[in-house]
Amino acid sequence: MTASVSAPAKDQTIRLADVRKSYGDFDVLKGIDATVSRGEVVVICGPSGSGKSTLIRTVNRLEEINSGSIFFEGQDIHAPLKGRELNRLRSRIGFVFQSFNLFPHLSAVDNVAMSPIRVKGVPAAEAHEKALKLLDRVGLREKANSYPAQLSGGQQQRVAIARALAMEPPVMLFDEPTSALDPEMVGEVLSVMKSLAAEGMTMMCVTHEMGFARDVADRIWFIDGGRIIETATPDEFFKNPKHPRAQRFLADLRH
Amino acid sequence: MIHDIIAIIDEYWLLLLIGQYPNGPLGGLANTLILSALSIVIAFPFAILLAFARLSKYRVLRWPVTVLVYVTRGVPLLMLVLWSYFLVPLLTGADVPSFLTMLTTLVVYQGAFLSEIIRAGIVALGPGQMDAARALGHGWFGAMRYVILPQALYNMIPSMLSTFVATIKDTTLGYVINVPDLTFAASQVNNQLLTQPFQVFLILALTYYVICWSLTALTNVVERRITRRRAGLAAPRRQLSLITNATEQP
Repeated sequence: MTASVSAPAKDQTIRLADVRKSYGDFDVLKGIDATVSRGEVVVICGPSGSGKSTLIRTVNRLEEINSGSIFFEGQDIHAPLKGRELNRLRSRIGFVFQSFNLFPHLSAVDNVAMSPIRVKGVPAAEAHEKALKLLDRVGLREKANSYPAQLSGGQQQRVAIARALAMEPPVMLFDEPTSALDPEMVGEVLSVMKSLAAEGMTMMCVTHEMGFARDVADRIWFIDGGRIIETATPDEFFKNPKHPRAQRFLADLRH
Repeated sequence: MIHDIIAIIDEYWLLLLIGQYPNGPLGGLANTLILSALSIVIAFPFAILLAFARLSKYRVLRWPVTVLVYVTRGVPLLMLVLWSYFLVPLLTGADVPSFLTMLTTLVVYQGAFLSEIIRAGIVALGPGQMDAARALGHGWFGAMRYVILPQALYNMIPSMLSTFVATIKDTTLGYVINVPDLTFAASQVNNQLLTQPFQVFLILALTYYVICWSLTALTNVVERRITRRRAGLAAPRRQLSLITNATEQP
């Protein structure tokens, strides 16, 4: 069932319409309206507790919402969907977690190859070949047979990115992908993300890496109190933030 | 003493091994092993289903199974055995063989314990693994099968082993409803000899010890192999993969 309300323009990969969510009395998201165009890199930033992670988790319905809609390629993710329908949509939205969430019982190559085999029915040999290519792309070809416990945090996160890419999603979501990493490992993950962006991947990233936001983002959404209170290009945002809360946030970062 | 034991074994080994068979029903050690193996083999998948129901977001599934688990865990196995022995024929009018009564009771009883162990193993993994699997497009059952259970069951091997061993030992209670198992055979022997209960029941105890010890040893071997493999220490394999062996082309 496609959206009959208003068919979004083709270049709008993701559109959020009045998205609201609360935990009991606490409103986490208080009406989010936004769009992400094809090939666009959006960085979502804001103070902790502002709803960034909740927001990005609603986009592939890891979190339910109370009202509103989220359209992905014209289809409302939060409509009453058949399980299979939702699984298919999710398989087209890559998701990278703060805590990597690699499958510890599988080697790196099996982490990457499993879902194409089990979800999409790709033949095992083909999926493996592809998985090795993806591991190569994130610089971990030689770690193919290592298990997650044998990899550093940065390496685990790069495998996790390869795992998400294995499903060939047109969109990738990143939920604070470098926040759990030792400082010296942040760079290797960011450079993989940068190369993805350079290849034209549509991306939404929740991150505190302002350097990444400045270099890679097409737009920055600044969230506070469950609302997007400023949307700007990195240039505008860092040089001339309009909202006082954003000004304070950036000032705090410089300390 | 040792001499007595050897004499008893020499005299009654066939009765202890297979009961009255072929002149009567299969019994003795053979029946104990069959009852134990069937109980474990049926209770295990049954327990996984119970654990799923306990974790379900649907109350229709969660509540009845929660009641079943609490009641079963709160009642001595002997009560359950006697109840099913006397009540089931009364309620259904059917004449259920005692072996089947014992098997069913053991499956329900040990299944309830096992389901709590499995549930704990699943919950202990935390939500991240399920999130990751769902985000990749796996359905709930797919996520369970390929991501959650392989980890949860492995982590719970020691606790599950305890339940399996308890199951084997609990088959002895079949004695009270005349299941012709090893305990039943030993007590027949004792009734014939009358004067050597210590020797007879020492044989019985040693036999159960060997059975349970074997299962423990076997489980340890399996656990060590999985551990080595997951630590990447296993001998080099022909292929790169654990998950694809089943589906690989020759």
